[in-house]
Amino acid sequence: MDSDCLSLLPAVCLVLADPKQSPPDDTSLEKLLDWFKELHSQSNGQVLLQHQPCLLEFISSVCTSKTTDPAILSFTLKLTGLLAATTQGFHLFDEGGLLVYVFELEAWGVCDLWEDASVRSGWLQGLLDMLKHQQALGFICGNGLIKVILQLQNDRSLFAACLANQLLVHILNFLTSSNMTSGSDVVGSSESSLRPDWVSASSEIMNAVVEALSSEDCPQVLQGLRLLSLVLSQCGEPIISTLWKDVLVPLEVLVNRGSESLIQTLITVLEAALGTPLLSQSEYKVEELLEAMLGDGNRKECFQCAALIVKLEKCPEVLKRKATDIILLPLQCVSTQPQAEKGINVVLKEQLSQKASCISLLMQSLSSLAQLAHTKYLFEDISVHSITSSVVLLLRMCSGHCPSSLIHINTFTHLIGCCKVQRCGLDTLGALSVYEENLDLRKDIFGVLLDLLQSPDSHATVSMCIFVYCMLLILAASDFLPSKLIDLFPVLEKRMCDLRWEVRDSTLEFITQLTAALISNSGFSEALHTSGMVSVLLSSLADAEGYVRASAVAAVGEAVTASFHQTVLASNSKLLEDALVQMMAILSQDTEGFPRRAVVQAFTSWLKGSHLITALESSLSSVLSLGGSDFDWEVKMHTLELAEVLMEKTLTCCPYAVQNFGSSEVRFPQALIKFKDFGLFDLLFNSLFDCDRPVCEKACALLVKLRTLTAETADLDHCVLVLNVCGNRWGDEVQRRYLNKQQAKASVCVTNGVTGSDEGTDCDLHCSKDISLPKILQILDLDDMQRMLTLSSDHVVNSPRSLMEDILSAAQQSEENIVDCY
Amino acid sequence: MPDIKVTPLGAGQDVGRSCILVSIGGKNIMLDCGMHMGYNDDRRFPDFSYVTQNSRLTEFLDCVIISHFHLDHCGALPYMSEMVGYDGPIYMTHPTKAICPILLEDFRKITVDKKGETNFFTSQMIKDCMKKVVPLNLHQTVQVDEELEIKAYYAGHVLGAAMFQIKVGSESVVYTGDYNMTPDRHLGAAWIDKCRPDLLISESTYATTIRDSKRCRERDFLKKVHETVERGGKVLIPVFALGRAQELCILLETFWERMNLKAPIYFSTGLTEKANHYYKLFITWTNQKIRKTFVQRNMFEFKHIKAFDRSYADNPGPMVVFATPGMLHAGQSLQIFKKWAGNEKNMLIMPGYCVQGTVGHKILNGQKKLEMEGRATVIIELCSLYSPLAHADAKGIMQLIRMAEPRNMLLVHGEAKKMEFLKDKIEQEFSISCYMPANGETTTIVTNPSVPVDISLNLLKREMALGGPLPDAKRPRTMHGTLIMKDNSLRLVSPEQALKELGLSEHQLRFTCRVQLHDPHSDTDTLGRIYTHLKSVLKSYSIQHVPDGTVIVESIVIKVTSSAEEPNLKVILLSWSYQDEELGSFLSTLLKNGLPS
Repeated sequence: MDSDCLSLLPAVCLVLADPKQSPPDDTSLEKLLDWFKELHSQSNGQVLLQHQPCLLEFISSVCTSKTTDPAILSFTLKLTGLLAATTQGFHLFDEGGLLVYVFELEAWGVCDLWEDASVRSGWLQGLLDMLKHQQALGFICGNGLIKVILQLQNDRSLFAACLANQLLVHILNFLTSSNMTSGSDVVGSSESSLRPDWVSASSEIMNAVVEALSSEDCPQVLQGLRLLSLVLSQCGEPIISTLWKDVLVPLEVLVNRGSESLIQTLITVLEAALGTPLLSQSEYKVEELLEAMLGDGNRKECFQCAALIVKLEKCPEVLKRKATDIILLPLQCVSTQPQAEKGINVVLKEQLSQKASCISLLMQSLSSLAQLAHTKYLFEDISVHSITSSVVLLLRMCSGHCPSSLIHINTFTHLIGCCKVQRCGLDTLGALSVYEENLDLRKDIFGVLLDLLQSPDSHATVSMCIFVYCMLLILAASDFLPSKLIDLFPVLEKRMCDLRWEVRDSTLEFITQLTAALISNSGFSEALHTSGMVSVLLSSLADAEGYVRASAVAAVGEAVTASFHQTVLASNSKLLEDALVQMMAILSQDTEGFPRRAVVQAFTSWLKGSHLITALESSLSSVLSLGGSDFDWEVKMHTLELAEVLMEKTLTCCPYAVQNFGSSEVRFPQALIKFKDFGLFDLLFNSLFDCDRPVCEKACALLVKLRTLTAETADLDHCVLVLNVCGNRWGDEVQRRYLNKQQAKASVCVTNGVTGSDEGTDCDLHCSKDISLPKILQILDLDDMQRMLTLSSDHVVNSPRSLMEDILSAAQQSEENIVDCY
Repeated sequence: MPDIKVTPLGAGQDVGRSCILVSIGGKNIMLDCGMHMGYNDDRRFPDFSYVTQNSRLTEFLDCVIISHFHLDHCGALPYMSEMVGYDGPIYMTHPTKAICPILLEDFRKITVDKKGETNFFTSQMIKDCMKKVVPLNLHQTVQVDEELEIKAYYAGHVLGAAMFQIKVGSESVVYTGDYNMTPDRHLGAAWIDKCRPDLLISESTYATTIRDSKRCRERDFLKKVHETVERGGKVLIPVFALGRAQELCILLETFWERMNLKAPIYFSTGLTEKANHYYKLFITWTNQKIRKTFVQRNMFEFKHIKAFDRSYADNPGPMVVFATPGMLHAGQSLQIFKKWAGNEKNMLIMPGYCVQGTVGHKILNGQKKLEMEGRATVIIELCSLYSPLAHADAKGIMQLIRMAEPRNMLLVHGEAKKMEFLKDKIEQEFSISCYMPANGETTTIVTNPSVPVDISLNLLKREMALGGPLPDAKRPRTMHGTLIMKDNSLRLVSPEQALKELGLSEHQLRFTCRVQLHDPHSDTDTLGRIYTHLKSVLKSYSIQHVPDGTVIVESIVIKVTSSAEEPNLKVILLSWSYQDEELGSFLSTLLKNGLPS
């Protein structure tokens, strides 16, 4: 493959270097670079450059041209970096002075190209890729490129600024590791062992960080902090402590200033510092700084800081506790009676009195609580019970219920109908359900959930959260549920008739999950079938929305499965009968793919069940035939999966056997006859010649399996299963393939002067309508087909050769194709 | 100064995928969340990590707005909401919400069909994502929260496409998405209020194109199809599920009717029903002609276009087939293509974008020989290209600027060189700043929001009584009064009225000053001497010597005291209100200089 591509490379280079040509689309250049990367990882830059001199010519010509397109220049810079990543490649570039020409801004930076962000990013990426050896570091330091990189750290392009930071960290890291290998261990103390330009490079970078942090310009401070956090998380000693000592003073100033726009980044820096040895040394003040961020809980910003601090993995316990106390304040304030309010600070009260800040504070508080609960945090001084009660109260307030003692609080008006707080509150309740202390609150919680579900005003996304939480509640304590079903089912039935499809669908999904989870709970199954829920499920099969019909199919499917776990009731067979009629109608007539897919999946799931469902037998052949000829290839795939289960079941335990077949030798031919009756062979052979690859692949795999079984059954009478090949599409294809094979064979025979011994038989074959299954499987050459299907995935050809051909042919195309977007 | 910040993550000087971040009045909004179909790894989605910097998207964004259902505008939505994690509101029009999942599902199927595809969203994720979508009507103002509101305008382009006005306080931005300023066969032209936004973000796909007449393009297309059918050939038109295909169907249907042609036209894979369903459902979004004739005849119920069965491909004689997928890389369209490609009588018409690596892309690039399944070589003898071009051209973009009258302009969704040309043209013609940031570059536009203040009639009358000119909007002038900020409204009233309205009592501020001087007389005599001295200095002022031991000049009160220990050292107390600040200062200086002997 690569030799093919390499032969095309000179032509591609010429096209790309030609300033008169417009560059190929951006994806082509990126994919070409991907290929170079792969090639480079297999060999090395030197080999590639030595064998492909066109690459050096290309790079040189692009960098000397003043009319190069920015996209091509950016590509060239990245390519150069990649090829110069080995010392040999680097030397090849360096020998001709090309490297200086590529990366030295004076060479081409004077022209407008540097104004293009992609060029600046390409330049940085090139250097980053190249920095794999000391010579590269020497090149960067020796040519004063550090200064440019530091400038780019504040670039107006986010991408360039981010790359610049990465490159600076890489340089610092490289300085340390180079130093290590040369035998010394501290940058500061043994600077003499480093080249002087390297020493100045490291101090240049560190000074720049200090300068950035002391700056009055917020974006510059932000970039400085980002670099600092990268250094802390990616570099080792002595870089970390050297830099930290220098930045500590400006960092303290920033922390104490408490600017809102810096909080997130400052916490990221301190989080990174927590993961370093700096934490254990008090003079580095890591913990002190974090505590200073929190203040005394009287600053507006302290809530955001606390929310960020509780998330920190390596946070000291005392600090976490303090942050947790702050996090709980808004929740306590809202749910506390006015006389107890005295201790609550003014800032918090003011924040809660304004709608936007009130909602955002409560959400921050709730999601931090959830986060703590996920880690099973021990709220030592505060009872989980009271926290949960506060959340429940908050949810009640959102639904418009508020205890009269709290009614004067204006926060209440902000909360009514606020779906953001409701969603967050439900998530938090879900997380808090891990604490056993909450068990006695289940009744209250369930009441709130029912209230929310009952309300037609509840937002669709809130309903989704309720269902998720309900499932958690039920799975955690299934003994609790049966008594509540009497309240739950009527509400669910109501929501299944909601005007919004989103709510109807979520309700059906919930019922499906509930039924599957409680399949062995006889109380639930009974309630499901006696409450009238099933008839509502059946009527949902005719919903106007495809998504809902599909979910209804799944729900009915589960309900049917559940009914078979019950003692046989007359209503059970009636349910199956009704379900089958409607499902078959969906499979044959529904205009959308989802419900049709769901029907086939329901059949597969029924068939997989351990219960014998003889009632399905009459429908199976229709499902296989309808599913196999569906417009949607995924319906076909599901049908083939159904066929697979059918084959397994029939061949192992033969659930459809009217009589016992006895030994497996006897069972196999019988099963084949059964498959024929179901139309399974039509499905498999039609699918084998389908226009969609996954369908062919699956059908081919199943046929290979059948062929193996046929071969294993030594004394299989070929006359047992004869298929009619005429009048259907796959039959024509079989005959055509057979003829092709014969012709090929005949031509070989003519050349060799021999006559085929079985000519007579074959002649009979292509005149005959009926051919035995083993013969067909033999004719088809399934192994070859399978190989081909695995080889050619589809016709989005991802090979580099195809990419290069596309680049070349696009260059020959004179007129621009203006096509509409998808 | 307040500003608006715009950072494209996609569509900045390219047409790959649209994803633009706007910060306005402290709110962060994502405009479109498109996918680049040319990649088969994570590069196809916008890299959200650049913006959020470790925080969650839901915390960062106030809302997401999707302009229309094309995948380069909505394709990354399930990835963002379900895989990266975003639970906030997503806004789009009703037709977009209905059609978006079909196209996402269509593309998901194409993608998972490919080998080695990982990290792609599932059907369930598409559905869950759609559940977070809040649908909008045209011209309906939706309050995202207390401060942020959005409003949709008709954009043409495709069914349900909309332009969005985003407003926070008095600052506003309009985002066009893709739009079309000339009506086509089934959709109308884009329209917007003269809303004078601070910034208009417009697509610029055809920034340098002054499009040839649409009629000419249609005529060419019909001529080619007709010629092929006349000579007994077959025409294959690979299309995507919904969108341009409907326009081409209407075009062919009308032509077939007019020419009384008999050759069959087929549409594959049951898409006609689906498309019809949506076009019927959203008939108000189509153009006037379709709406008018809908009662007599539904334009989307085609007489000549029938459902296709794959066995028809082998039928002799001419036919036209619309088949999916549009990039001709798999499925039915490719199967038919393989059957028909070798025959020079046949024709292939490519109406849409094709990803690099697909057969469609190769054909658009002019390749005549293709290797398929590792062995077969197909020679394509004849193929042609037709695209209905549903974007605004340079003329259309200028027309929209005239309509909306923005204060600044920002171009996205176009090629840098073409944008540059249009940018110069806009700056020249409209004398407004025009920006064209690259992906990842932030453009900051300083806004100068005007804050409307109501003025009380009494205050205005008082100002006029003082003899000033009549109020004139074009001549700014200074006015003095008390500004009352109450319930989000601002009013300028006279201080008296403010006191009255707010129920406040007036407080008087008085300045006091002590002056020491040596005077051997009694306190009363000293006060008398002060009175006499002032009488002689301030001749035009009325000066009173009150029996309680004070001298009063205007609001200034003067008293004299002395201590028992040092009776010759007199302390003179002066006190005055702020209106007499000047006179008070003068008197204190005067008395410091001593009394005449």
